[in-house]
Amino acid sequence: MKTKRLMSKIFILSLFTVHYSLFTVSDAHAMHISEGILPFNWAALWFAVAIPFVAFGLYRLKKFSNSDLSFKPLVGLMAAVVFIISCMPVPVPTAGTCSHPTGIGIPAILLGPAISVVIASAALLIQALFLAHGGLTTWGANIISMGIMGSFAGYLTFRGLRALKANLWIAGFMAGLFADWATYFMTSVELASGIRGDSPFLPLFWKILIAFIPTQLPLGILEGAMTAGMVVLLYKKRPDLLVKMRVIKAAEVTV
Amino acid sequence: MGRKTCPSITLQRETIMELFSEYFKKDHLLSRVDARVKLGVSLFILAMVLSYKGLAFPLLILSISLCLCIRMKIPFKVFLLRFSEPVFIASVVILLKFLFSGQETMFSIKIWGITITGHKDGLMDGLQIGSRILGAVSVVALLGFSTPFTEIMAGLSWFRIPKGFIEILMFAYRYIFVLLEDAMVIYNAQKNRLGYSNIRRGLSSFGTLSGSLILKAFEHSQNTTTAMLQRGYDGNIPMLKHKPFKLAEVAASILFIFAMGLVWKI
Repeated sequence: MKTKRLMSKIFILSLFTVHYSLFTVSDAHAMHISEGILPFNWAALWFAVAIPFVAFGLYRLKKFSNSDLSFKPLVGLMAAVVFIISCMPVPVPTAGTCSHPTGIGIPAILLGPAISVVIASAALLIQALFLAHGGLTTWGANIISMGIMGSFAGYLTFRGLRALKANLWIAGFMAGLFADWATYFMTSVELASGIRGDSPFLPLFWKILIAFIPTQLPLGILEGAMTAGMVVLLYKKRPDLLVKMRVIKAAEVTV
Repeated sequence: MGRKTCPSITLQRETIMELFSEYFKKDHLLSRVDARVKLGVSLFILAMVLSYKGLAFPLLILSISLCLCIRMKIPFKVFLLRFSEPVFIASVVILLKFLFSGQETMFSIKIWGITITGHKDGLMDGLQIGSRILGAVSVVALLGFSTPFTEIMAGLSWFRIPKGFIEILMFAYRYIFVLLEDAMVIYNAQKNRLGYSNIRRGLSSFGTLSGSLILKAFEHSQNTTTAMLQRGYDGNIPMLKHKPFKLAEVAASILFIFAMGLVWKI
């Protein structure tokens, strides 16, 4: 009887902790995979996958910065913006708490996915070294989820919708939304494959994905609204920049 | 959303600033060690922590790192900020593995029609991952606490990390604080004008804030380039020059790695 009562207490405590983790605090660390969570083989594999993308991004960076000396400072500043945005608390109504966006949609739209991978890598490394967000050992995995998946999802969505004549707000919103959701989808894949041990992959993957839904579903929408707001603000204040970065055509600028 | 929920950007800014090593008092044995040596040792230890099958080695590394952090007189608040998140993640992973993973049943109870099962092997797996998280985080935290950003960058360049990437890191690091100041000014102005009084206005204000940051980034990048060109910038930032390695530091680090390797093997 006593054991049963003890077990009930443990269960209630566990429920509270799981609820707390999934619905209250998970958002605080949901963006990046924590240091040490992936075993050596998986960490090394994600690094190996990420390196060619980062190398291509650096090649593009070198190419652009040779012709425009202000390009490197601009990319560095964009990395600072991504760093700050991903440290900003954003309210998540369903969870009744705060979370933070990835902020990767906008550099992907403005500078292209290859440069955006470099921007994400820089922001992730600074966060790993000094804030314990993400980690050195999970840097490769986080580059893939936020840098590669997030950037490409955001960029392709934006370009695709613009080709279909969608307006800037809609295209920006969907780009931010999919950049965010793609990041969390990939994070779930990486986490499930890394911590599953001998258990089958799919059940754990679904559990992790479902655990992310209460915060990431609304957060994706918030990130979409944020990205759309950014693109529209740029269009209103500095359309010349959007033209220069080939986000819009010169003919689309209304004086 | 707005009135009672989120910690403000002011708090974020203070938190971020406190977490950067430049804001600590740095005069201790580890801060004087060459950044390349510290980076090399950290990478070796991280690889050992990740590949270890068990609890003992990561916990040993955690203990050593904690002792060094105490010796370095890291402020308790900073220490707590750095470790609270990893500790929580480790706890959640242990709990999830215990309840949802494994074959060997430790207990099984039925509450409100739901069967809850704790697994012995799941618990062990969870503890292993948890210890790995804490061990690895403590190594990186120690590196961050004991090494200024510019020295880490110089160390990375010695490890043949592409120079273009290091330059991006240096620009980003330089402007994080500038942009945080800008963000704080905008945020306070929005807040004073009830910009976060409801969800709709909050969303709109946040979008404007983020967009303004992008505009500020463009402005700063143009101004920085102009200023740097006037000072002879040719597209490359010079790095800190490396001093020659100190034999005692290299010997001590090899000895330490060797000793840890022995413990790892056992």
